[in-house]
Amino acid sequence: MIAIAGLVLGIVLGLVLNPDVPLWAEPYLPIAVVAAMDAVFGALRAYLDGIFDDKVFVVSFISNVLIAALIVFLGDKLGVGAQLSTGVVVVLGIRIFSNVAAIRRHLFHA
Amino acid sequence: MGLLAYLSTHTYDEDYETVAERRSGRGGSREQAVPARAWSRGAVAAVVLAAFGLLLVVAGTQTSREALALSDERKDLITQINDQTTALHRDQQRVQALQVGNRRSAQQGQLDESRYRQLRAQVRRLSVLAGTSRVHGPGVAVVVDDAPNAGNNDRAKVLDSDLQRLVNGLWQAGAEAIAINGQRLTSLSSIRKAGSAITVNYHSLDRPYRVLAIGDPDTLPARFAETDGAQAWFDLQQQVGLRFAIHTRQALALPRATPDLHYARPVHEGGAS
Repeated sequence: MIAIAGLVLGIVLGLVLNPDVPLWAEPYLPIAVVAAMDAVFGALRAYLDGIFDDKVFVVSFISNVLIAALIVFLGDKLGVGAQLSTGVVVVLGIRIFSNVAAIRRHLFHA
Repeated sequence: MGLLAYLSTHTYDEDYETVAERRSGRGGSREQAVPARAWSRGAVAAVVLAAFGLLLVVAGTQTSREALALSDERKDLITQINDQTTALHRDQQRVQALQVGNRRSAQQGQLDESRYRQLRAQVRRLSVLAGTSRVHGPGVAVVVDDAPNAGNNDRAKVLDSDLQRLVNGLWQAGAEAIAINGQRLTSLSSIRKAGSAITVNYHSLDRPYRVLAIGDPDTLPARFAETDGAQAWFDLQQQVGLRFAIHTRQALALPRATPDLHYARPVHEGGAS
């Protein structure tokens, strides 16, 4: 429950502060969000499987976000930013879908 | 293993399983380990989730803000395009109007040009009549002078009235332009005595008096001889001894006079009259 409260707090904080994103960070933000979603859903599934570990969650969250941003950064430098972003979104999207499906099976036993 | 198969089987971090296996391998059961670290575990997860939520909201607001700015820009551009299109249409119409004006002006210019030529020709013709332009042509040269032994006898000298009669006779005989000793006669010219000399156009003349008249050289001497002025001169020639000689010339050149008008103003045709 405290985790849900953290999520709500973060959302409220974002709405209240409404921080300006620096220009150089703008291209990495959406892909970082997708990577973070992958980590969060993975953690939720692990939690439901009963093997959740906070350290693993923190590490996977941070590394996911950083690697996603790095990939986009490299892609931009190489001139294939859009394609690499698409690849990252596809891979992470598949993982998110599978995770959500597993979570659904856990929650509804169906 | 295929990429897709790998992706769907490894849907979350493998470390979760590794850590769980290690923990159960250490002997402590999962159910015991969980409550002991429940609070800190939840707190860390909450912090990370808060970061996630923040990220989510920031990305969302950023995207919507960009979309807003984009649509504003789009509206701006559409307005600009419409404005410029209107301006373009206006300019095109202006160009057409100016082209029509140009064509009209060109026609007007041609009309003006031909009218200018007519006027110039008219001015030249009139200046010949008025004596304000030099003329040349055939005619007669009349040379008159005092009697050789005139002395103080005024009647033995050429008087202004004698010259007037001579000029009158030449006009009567059909002369078209007359000059006396280089003084062109105009409608303002007077022939009068001023002091001891005869003055034409306010210029004193020296003897002998050379009167040049442009006209038909074949008929001018004969017609002059029939005039009253000629009769008077023949009398003077015979009775007083004034010298008189008339010769036809095939090429005479007469100078022009430059009379000044100070008061006479033309009445404009078409104006109030």
